Amino acid sequence: MSDAGLALTQTRYALRGYTRDRSALVFTAIFPLILLLLFNAIFKGNTKFDGRNVASGAYYTASIISYVITLVSFGSLLSRITTARERGLLKRFRGTPMPSWIYLVSEIGRTVVVVYVTVALLVVVGAIFYHVHVSVHLLVGLVVYVALGVSCFCSMALALAGVCKTADAASAIGPLAATILSFLSGVFIPTFLMPTWLIDIGKVFPLEHTARGLQSAFLLKGSTGINGLDIGVLIVWTAVALLVASRNFKWEKSGAGST
Amino acid sequence: MTAVVEVEDLHKSYGQVERLHGISFQVQAGEILGFLGVNGAGKTTTIEILEGYRSRDGGRVSVLGTDPARANRQWRNRIGLVLQECELDPIYTVRETVSMFARYFKHPTDVQATIDSVGLNEKSDDRIGRLSGGQKRRLDVALGLVGDPEVLFLDEPTTGLDPVARREMWSMIEGLRSAGKTIFLTTHYMDEAEHLADRIIILRAGVIAAQGTPEELSATLGYHTEITFEPSVGFDLERLRAVLGATVTLEASVVRFKTNRVQDDMAVLLDWARREQVVLDKLQAIRPSLDDVFVQLAGEATAAEGATP
Repeated sequence: MSDAGLALTQTRYALRGYTRDRSALVFTAIFPLILLLLFNAIFKGNTKFDGRNVASGAYYTASIISYVITLVSFGSLLSRITTARERGLLKRFRGTPMPSWIYLVSEIGRTVVVVYVTVALLVVVGAIFYHVHVSVHLLVGLVVYVALGVSCFCSMALALAGVCKTADAASAIGPLAATILSFLSGVFIPTFLMPTWLIDIGKVFPLEHTARGLQSAFLLKGSTGINGLDIGVLIVWTAVALLVASRNFKWEKSGAGST
Repeated sequence: MTAVVEVEDLHKSYGQVERLHGISFQVQAGEILGFLGVNGAGKTTTIEILEGYRSRDGGRVSVLGTDPARANRQWRNRIGLVLQECELDPIYTVRETVSMFARYFKHPTDVQATIDSVGLNEKSDDRIGRLSGGQKRRLDVALGLVGDPEVLFLDEPTTGLDPVARREMWSMIEGLRSAGKTIFLTTHYMDEAEHLADRIIILRAGVIAAQGTPEELSATLGYHTEITFEPSVGFDLERLRAVLGATVTLEASVVRFKTNRVQDDMAVLLDWARREQVVLDKLQAIRPSLDDVFVQLAGEATAAEGATP
């Protein structure tokens, strides 16, 4: 079997695991859906984006999509990799002829599929209930920002996996970071309600740019939301994270090999 | 005979602490080598250097003609591993897991045959989360075997298993012997090494303390059968010592002495008992396991090293 074929099989294997893992299903698919329903129940009608009046339903659909990207690509991936390391699985895989990158690719592949399926679900719900007008512009922006966001947050998960010593710590960092960043980035609360200094802090991090790009694609008529600043920031974060990951990534849990 | 594993003057330190002080040994093709030591003796360090996980600080190491420090894919296709700690994903079934591992290797064995060979045929479609500790460990062995390796590294395969599971693991490993596999087995149970291994190396604080076949070890390390009995009251210990030697001891009405000539000394004892009209209650000859030898050696190491971390 070729390496590409093996990577594909390993990814399918990882996805089969996902479909059996109820807590993963709830956490990565049901939970965002509930958030979408809640936000739309609380903030009915219109909100403001870029100085314009927009439907809050569409606003929150775009926002929750960016939240899902962070939660799954960063939180779940980080937790899965550090757990596998702690269990000795990464070490075990490294002792087989399979190149180690295939394992990482399969985990990222699983993440990509889970994110896109959840996003598709959210878009459908948004189109039916929350004034999301699906257009070519919207779909182009959606695909681009989901791809960039997933790349960025997966890279950050790999980088953090090298820093986090235990899976417990890593599993806490994911949801924590996703939630705090969501408040800073106009995901949960529209930016026109926030003080400028808070918005400025949010702009340093990739979630703000993922969210902004998606909100633009969803809310601005005839716009894909694609712009140099948001894409640039995401690419820089991805590159830095990959660099950190390549230098720090560990295949064995810390403290191993002292005897 | 060809050497599958060759180690010469192997050194390894962690920081300031030298863990392996220049050990040398070989494992021949088709041989089961028992690598024995207490925790901290350097077993896992050694096996992980052989497996290509860990670097060394000095010496020469060759496994199947390759330096494990330069392990490549071809080499990994020829070795099988059972790590000390590896908790497989509980969400997959036994068959799924073995099939997936089979895909990593160039010439895998038949998946179902491998599962059968470790005695998990009835558990093939069970999820790993539902297996017992012993079954999980046997699955680990299946994953070590599915690549059809020339040499198998077993790192403490029975640690933490109950006695029944341990016996099952033993008979499985004995099955591998008849299949002609070369096996490097670490353990801290002497009885395990004695039962399974063709040759035993006792590692003590990073130094080889003793090595040889179980028979050789028992010969060099003073392997005495102990005879004990409770004599009826009123016997004369001095007259017993006169026929059996001064090593005979009496403690809490139990007489014991050690011998390497069981049959002769037993005849002398029975003769003496008839003459003196002494009843020998609870008479038994106990062939001590190598365990005692090992505990003695390990004890010396602990005393010499002081408090080990």
